[in-house]
Amino acid sequence: MRKIFYLLLIPALMLAQEQTKPVEGLRDNPPKVYALTNVKIVQSPEKTIEKGTVVIRDGVIESVGANVQIPSDAQVIDLSGKVIYPGFIDLYTSYGLPKQRERAQTQQVGFQQQQAETKKGAENWNPNVLSSKLALNEFAPDQKEAERLRSQGFTVVLSVPQEGIFRGKSVLVMLADGKAPNDVVIKPAVAQHIAFIRGFGRDVYPNSLMGNIALIRQTFYDAKWYASAWDAFSKNPSLQKPEVNSSLEALQSSLKGEPVTFEANDELDFLRCAKIAKEFSLNAWIIGSGYEYRRVDAIKNTGYPVILPVNFPKPPDVENPDDADAIDLRTLKHWYNAPENPKRLNDAGVTFAFTTYRLENPAEFLQKVREAVERGLPENVALSALTLTPAKLLGLDKILGSVESGKMANFIITDKNIFDEDSKILQVWIAGEKYDVEGMPEFDPRGEWRAKINNDTLNINISGQIKNLRGRVRSGNKSVNLVKVSLFDNNLTLAFNGDSVGIKGIVRISAFVRKGTMEGYAEVSGGERFVFSAVKISEPRDERPRQLKKVKFESIPVTYPDGAFGFSKLPEQPEYVLIKNATIWTCSERGKLENADMLVHRGVIEKIGKNLEAPKGAVIIDATGKHVTPGIIDAHSHTAISGGVNESTQAITAEVRIQDVINSDDINIYRQLAGGVTAANVLHGSANPIGGQNAVLKYRWGLLPDELIFKEAPAGIKFALGENVKQSNWGDRYTTRYPQTRMGVEQIIRDAFKAALDYEKAWNTYREESKKKVLIPPRKDLQLEALLEILKGQRLVHAHSYRQDEILMLLRVAEDFGFRIATLQHVLEGYKIAEAIAKHGAGASTFSDWWAYKFEVYDAIPHNGALMEKVGVITSFNSDSDELARRLNLEAAKAVKYGGLSEEDALKLVTINPAKQLRIDKYVGSLEPGKHADFVIWSGNPLSTYTVCEQTWIEGRKYFDRNEDLKMREEAKKLRDFIIQKIFEVKSSARPQPQFATQPN
Amino acid sequence: MKIKIISLIFALTLIFVMNLYASDIIPGKPQNKPIALVGGTIHTITNGTIENGIVLFDKGKIVAVGKDVNIPKDAEVIDIKGKHVYPGLINAFTTIGLVEIGAVRATRDVTEVGLVNPNVRAEVAFNPDSEHPPVTRANGITLALVVPTGDLIAGQSALMMLDGWTWEDMTLKAPVGLHIYWPRMVQAQGFGFMFARQSPEEMKKETEKRLQLIRETFQKARAYKKAKEAETQKGVPYHDTDLKYEAMIPVLEGKVPVFVHANSAKEILSAIQWAESEGVKIVIVGGADSWKVADVLKSKNIPVILTNIHRLPSGRDSDYDEPFTVAYKLYKAGVKFCIGGEGGYYNERNLPYQAGTCAAFGLPREEALKAITIYPAEILGVADKVGSIEPGKDATLIVTTGDPLEIPTQVIYEFIQGRKVDLSNRQTKLYEKYVEKYRRLGLLK
Repeated sequence: MRKIFYLLLIPALMLAQEQTKPVEGLRDNPPKVYALTNVKIVQSPEKTIEKGTVVIRDGVIESVGANVQIPSDAQVIDLSGKVIYPGFIDLYTSYGLPKQRERAQTQQVGFQQQQAETKKGAENWNPNVLSSKLALNEFAPDQKEAERLRSQGFTVVLSVPQEGIFRGKSVLVMLADGKAPNDVVIKPAVAQHIAFIRGFGRDVYPNSLMGNIALIRQTFYDAKWYASAWDAFSKNPSLQKPEVNSSLEALQSSLKGEPVTFEANDELDFLRCAKIAKEFSLNAWIIGSGYEYRRVDAIKNTGYPVILPVNFPKPPDVENPDDADAIDLRTLKHWYNAPENPKRLNDAGVTFAFTTYRLENPAEFLQKVREAVERGLPENVALSALTLTPAKLLGLDKILGSVESGKMANFIITDKNIFDEDSKILQVWIAGEKYDVEGMPEFDPRGEWRAKINNDTLNINISGQIKNLRGRVRSGNKSVNLVKVSLFDNNLTLAFNGDSVGIKGIVRISAFVRKGTMEGYAEVSGGERFVFSAVKISEPRDERPRQLKKVKFESIPVTYPDGAFGFSKLPEQPEYVLIKNATIWTCSERGKLENADMLVHRGVIEKIGKNLEAPKGAVIIDATGKHVTPGIIDAHSHTAISGGVNESTQAITAEVRIQDVINSDDINIYRQLAGGVTAANVLHGSANPIGGQNAVLKYRWGLLPDELIFKEAPAGIKFALGENVKQSNWGDRYTTRYPQTRMGVEQIIRDAFKAALDYEKAWNTYREESKKKVLIPPRKDLQLEALLEILKGQRLVHAHSYRQDEILMLLRVAEDFGFRIATLQHVLEGYKIAEAIAKHGAGASTFSDWWAYKFEVYDAIPHNGALMEKVGVITSFNSDSDELARRLNLEAAKAVKYGGLSEEDALKLVTINPAKQLRIDKYVGSLEPGKHADFVIWSGNPLSTYTVCEQTWIEGRKYFDRNEDLKMREEAKKLRDFIIQKIFEVKSSARPQPQFATQPN
Repeated sequence: MKIKIISLIFALTLIFVMNLYASDIIPGKPQNKPIALVGGTIHTITNGTIENGIVLFDKGKIVAVGKDVNIPKDAEVIDIKGKHVYPGLINAFTTIGLVEIGAVRATRDVTEVGLVNPNVRAEVAFNPDSEHPPVTRANGITLALVVPTGDLIAGQSALMMLDGWTWEDMTLKAPVGLHIYWPRMVQAQGFGFMFARQSPEEMKKETEKRLQLIRETFQKARAYKKAKEAETQKGVPYHDTDLKYEAMIPVLEGKVPVFVHANSAKEILSAIQWAESEGVKIVIVGGADSWKVADVLKSKNIPVILTNIHRLPSGRDSDYDEPFTVAYKLYKAGVKFCIGGEGGYYNERNLPYQAGTCAAFGLPREEALKAITIYPAEILGVADKVGSIEPGKDATLIVTTGDPLEIPTQVIYEFIQGRKVDLSNRQTKLYEKYVEKYRRLGLLK
């Protein structure tokens, strides 16, 4: 249907425009043939005609060239000295669409209420899936907004719906005034649009970033299923009819290559969007954030084009030193580097189109693009990003994007190179109709005039912009500014105080401008009128605005991550590293070795012993007096999570994944490296009985989210029991979500596992039976698949739990379903049933000494860890805190104090034991040949409060070094100071920003 | 049968109630004869360390300290060879006794409603039978400053001995200070994905309003004091009582200092400027950024109670060890300071490890020890009674297996005003109970 639409479009423009609406009154058929002559034509980013003609007929460019025959029916417009550019295209606006409303779902409606609401239509169950919405149906041209966008050179924009996660389909429209939507729409349904939303409250799924991603993935899987289900039904109508779902229906075209856009709020979000797009082979465009330069290679590698904002930040307020302290280097650097984002993306080979999106004031758009050009973006690339690139992305480069015959007559007329700072857009033409921006008067009043009033001869100089003229009157050596100069059509108003130039009182003039002459009358003080006439004696000089001192910006390279304490490159992995003369806590059967050496080869421990020979070229570290331990492993962490630790809406959210939302830039990674932590079990929160999937990370600071993942670690998932999941401490409003008791917790877990088994059965049946006849396949269910993996022993359960009753309950449920709980987390009453935990084979990951913060932990004791360990439970101490994670070695010491573990056994609580619990003990957790060289060098006994961590190594690379840290502090300070100086330079050279009378929304 | 069930329920309820509200640890007996601790290393704090020394105390007071001390015949002699004696540790920022279980509203007595509560007194709500004092003192903390919390003028703190029958027995000094939580003057960094914060403009407005309220409250208190003083004169009418302003009179008279909870440099300076114009004595509590204004603090002789040493650095760019190095920086600058706790109730026993961390990051070890003994005693105005082992001071001291700043160290004896304190507590009893379980199962010896 849409294809037919285009095919019709082009011939229709070539003939007289057909319209379906009956004509009211007389028919209106003015000739629409123009020849714009003597003009410089920038046809496309690569092709310019220095002086030529553009012929337009009925909204379409008929011909372009240096030597074009002007048709005899054309109206000729002489554009000497002017420049024509292709009209700009913005692929991400909300032009002509209703402003975002407060949606019912964003308010604090009870979860149950939402479920019970009477549903209208056949859209998706989730209120954030609005994929079937068509912008077309809500679109109405908006004259004011169109004018604003035209003022920046735009002729065509994509209008994108603004609500929900799946937002629906956009409409491509011209920015023409006074026409019906029917006439300005170019393409009725262009792309599907997806964005991550902030959750509102704890009621409506999703309220976390990982929930957003899970919902998007599940919805695409549902859309795939939907097609196959209906396909099966059409082939075998004797089957039970599948559900009708207009939201999934609307996604079919997206799965077949229609563009899908994703909004990325930062560079890591970009990678998240790209991953989803890849999973479903989508034709994706990603709406940028302005932060892409920070991870430009990774962004390049996704291969997706970027719809790029020019939202370069304002200079931060650094005048008050106390307030400035609150602005971090990362923010300062972004201010400095943001205008270079387009250049750096281009250098890396990323395709992008510019958008006004994310600009607080779209009237600054062109100025920002010019800033990008000034910071090194080639002009032709900038032009392409405004014209041909978006046209190609739309698949409409046959009719849009350049000034070539056969294309829509969409172009811009400027007074000079559009990337010059003071160039003006005079007119914008859209489909062969002109719209004034700066305006092009028939006769330009600007220049030097010799005027006569009565017997006085005066020189009048008029300058400025057509919409904002100014001038000065001179008589002999006396002169005065004009109080008023304005042009209305060809009528010029002038007023000045005559006293200064020898005429008594105020002089007011009304004159009509013609080519080179003016005629009218002047009224002077006392009401006397005289004839006024003037002759132009010179054209206006090319006005150079007050030359401002340009602030010079040398390029500042990014660090990984950007800001303080980032690395300029990945820490090196020396071929050999030899640690000499250390006290080595192996956390293995070899125990603690005094005066020992450890040899590391390419990131793996090769040998531990006395007097090891240094291989040639080995990096040798003299660790005399120091202690070396395995890297600390935190078995319970929420570090490095973006967009919410909990998907706290639904009781079961096994489909959400921490791996989707890793924030590799979290400074807490670095801070924990400084406490000797090398790996962490990053878990979903405890808001639901079955929470999300965890990610085991290695703290490879500076690398990308996916590169932090501990690849050898088995998959896992968070469970939670007790007060949190039954919403005991959520407030009085939360009394309706199932479960509200520990009894219900057990049942909902059993229910979920049963559902997973049923799901497996359904698939098995389908696989078997569909060989014989056409059947509707089961829906791929990400939640049930994760649960099934648990039952198959492929996914480890990490269960937040406190009281002995609930702990035992979970062990028994697991035993009933034939699997083993990997770790009980917190497990503060584990000491009461340690023998049962040991027998089941679960690990226990506990706090050293927390208690009494809520009722279910009133019986917690600091001896818990030691007691469980002694009774045979593999026990670890965890942090559950960005801060405590920095001191896990000291937490371990508490097991010596309370319960009397030996120092060596105590250290195991934060090294080999958590490794065993996470099933990564083959690789890490102790210092033994063949294991990853993840280790820490301490200034003394790691269990002493007086000890500090000096170096932290992962796979033979040094990620933390206290001496290096001290240097990085200095570097950050210097860079900070440099940028703050720049901010002052810029602020002192700033000039007023262009302003609209009314701020756009 | 029915009766049985009912009585069972009753019994269970009783156990429950007892567990929740009553500690079954019995307070120490008043000292009825001299006690001599003999043979240990005595860390006097103020007069050096005495190896193989003797501490003699009687009637709750230290009588003699040294190598040659005459031990009275009737004295109880405790051999502590190889052990160490320290003054009881003092935690200068807690809410012990005011909160039992944070999530259970019924057990919270720490924040009164409203912004202006100068009259509320911590000691009267201190629950002597809370489980927290025994757990806390088991790690050598003998004294805790118990502080009301709030959003502005929160109330008066009390220095409590962590052993006794009633809050009156247990109060060493009250009021210690009037606590004002200074309005936030610096916007926290960053934005959460989930929740929008107050805008900078809103925060500024609110801060201005609150600063104004502090000034007004003091102005009114001064006027009140004047009116009350005047009413004794002839012809001046009686002025009706206002508890709030009444409570502030000792502050205006300089008898009670104001404890200003402030962290950013801007807040600290703002508080100092206010205190000078108001003519009141202040102590800074918190003091995260106090190192940035150390010279001001030094020159104006304003002490700082550093709190929450184990916290994250204030900003993304801050040194990872920023919170750990503040004490050292104040020490170097010559500012009077001590290391306080975290304003909590359940893990305030970990105070010595916070001091240990300060030592790991530069503070000399003896200073770290002083920062939780004599320095808090000085800042809280009780250095004549506690904080060091000196004749004449309270016999509030601990005997340990080693350096109390090291985690594996155990406290083996503890005396508060000469009373020998029971070091068992809810947690050790639960521990023993379950050790017994595993003994019976043959899993432990």
